[in-house]
Amino acid sequence: MECRVLSIQSHVVRGYVGNKSASFPLQVSIVDSINSVQFSNHTGYSHWKGQVLTADELHVLYEGIKLNNVNHYDYVLTGYTRDTSFLEMVVDIVQELKRANPNLVYVCDPVLGDHGSMYVPQNLHPVYKNKVVPVADIITPNQFEAELLTGKNISTEKDAFEVNLNTSLMPDGTRTTQRIRIEVPKVDAVFVGTGDLFAAMLLAWTHHYPTDLKTACEKTFSVMHHVIQRTISYAHEMAGPGRRPSPAQLELRMVQSKADIEDPAIVMEATVL
Amino acid sequence: MDCRVLSVQSHVVRGYVGNKSASFPLQVLGFEVETINSVQFSNHTGYEHWKGQVLTADELQLLYEGIKLNNVNQYDYVLTGYTRDDSFLDMVVDIVQELKRANPNLVYVCDPVLGDNGAMYVPENLLPIYRDKVVPAADIITPNQFEAELLTGRNISSEKDAVEVMNLLHSMGPDTVVITSSELPSPLGDQYLVALGSQKRVTEDGTMVTQQIRMDIPRVDAVFVGTGDLFAAMLLAWTHLHPNDLKMACEKTVSVIYHVIKRTITYAKEVAGPNRRPSPAQLELRMVQSKADIEDPGIVLNALSSRYM
Repeated sequence: MECRVLSIQSHVVRGYVGNKSASFPLQVSIVDSINSVQFSNHTGYSHWKGQVLTADELHVLYEGIKLNNVNHYDYVLTGYTRDTSFLEMVVDIVQELKRANPNLVYVCDPVLGDHGSMYVPQNLHPVYKNKVVPVADIITPNQFEAELLTGKNISTEKDAFEVNLNTSLMPDGTRTTQRIRIEVPKVDAVFVGTGDLFAAMLLAWTHHYPTDLKTACEKTFSVMHHVIQRTISYAHEMAGPGRRPSPAQLELRMVQSKADIEDPAIVMEATVL
Repeated sequence: MDCRVLSVQSHVVRGYVGNKSASFPLQVLGFEVETINSVQFSNHTGYEHWKGQVLTADELQLLYEGIKLNNVNQYDYVLTGYTRDDSFLDMVVDIVQELKRANPNLVYVCDPVLGDNGAMYVPENLLPIYRDKVVPAADIITPNQFEAELLTGRNISSEKDAVEVMNLLHSMGPDTVVITSSELPSPLGDQYLVALGSQKRVTEDGTMVTQQIRMDIPRVDAVFVGTGDLFAAMLLAWTHLHPNDLKMACEKTVSVIYHVIKRTITYAKEVAGPNRRPSPAQLELRMVQSKADIEDPGIVLNALSSRYM
């Protein structure tokens, strides 16, 4: 089954964030990628250098695709963005692509911040809330982002479900809502690119299991687990005993995790509530 | 394996040329691929329309600087292909030379893209840069016949000429030369095209040997874009995995291309419909679908080792 994804994310020369994190794992699909920036590496290193794509340049690239009559996608995937006009152009493109294919699924990681503070410009918040999320079909906020987008606070599981619903359309036309909870073991390190990998894998596994969020999430989280475990083992080995690994050493072991990406052993169970 | 490749090539949003053609296959084979995108275009220039942006030599240098400042400018391979700008090409050579100082074992795989079928399709002023600066820094080159002739100033009318040209190219720098296609007649008939290769190496007991090979490759009746880029990337991979056996490396490389092309042409004809010529969009390489062939190519031809001295 031919599945075409348009992914609009960062490109880094070295490492696995943004489009680098999404492209290789999404092997079952054809991934067209628009690089929103080209940086030497992610911004967690001591240094980073590169260039950003403007909203106009994004528009030009899309125009090329459109002029050739190949603007037909099954999925759009977006993540970390810092610029409001760029984000607005993305929404315009998604809306046009949805007119071309009403079954298009827009997977959006509404990257705003974490641990109580925003790490993108504040003026992106209303754009996500009022324009982006309304056109998204799948979103992957963390707790802070979910709270920001809804203006509600999450202190209990009940709060969480009032905030975030997953609704699927069954083959017979009825809508059902499936809610799950999944408990994920913490890993003592900071990884970059895992959110991008998560969104890409959720796209892949919900594509395989469109009416089974439980299995889709178990597979997604399991891939994450395997990649992270492999990465942390390698990083500790490289850094040496008693030393904290560097950002360079902590780059996701993506290529090395190919087998786990293709067929993840399930390592945690989601509970259907 | 942990083998790091720096690939400086084009990026297209849609399709498989340049870095899009090189990355996925190298990654499935376990290589860490770091990519500097020399351009970002909507698609390759064989379509009716194309739009996008190019990277300047200064912007290239800036990206490299970021890598260098973080002390991660250690690579095992550099891979380059189609370039249109002389200052960009100059900057690429500077970067390669610096990377070779950082790692003297670095292998620079260079597709010296100049033209084909008797005509140049890059600006003429790139020829002296390739001839005088790029090829001397390269370890593996993959010219077609026209490019091999341009770089050496010699004509190839026979296999003997081709061997002389490859030896000349060796003397200019690279120890491995593969002439990826030629007009030479194949003993198997006109349904085949001839490719040749030559690799100089030093054996364990210190003697210099040159392995030369000829391949007779079944022709496919269509124009593909990105196959040259795929070829260079796969030659990188298979010479890495078979460092002293150009015959095996080339058999695998050519076989991968063959499987990808067959899958592509079958699909293209199906989508185009009976008696219709497939469009460039339909002829995009079926790269992701060919993963199994990339990982473990069934050998579809035998390279003849014509000389071993």
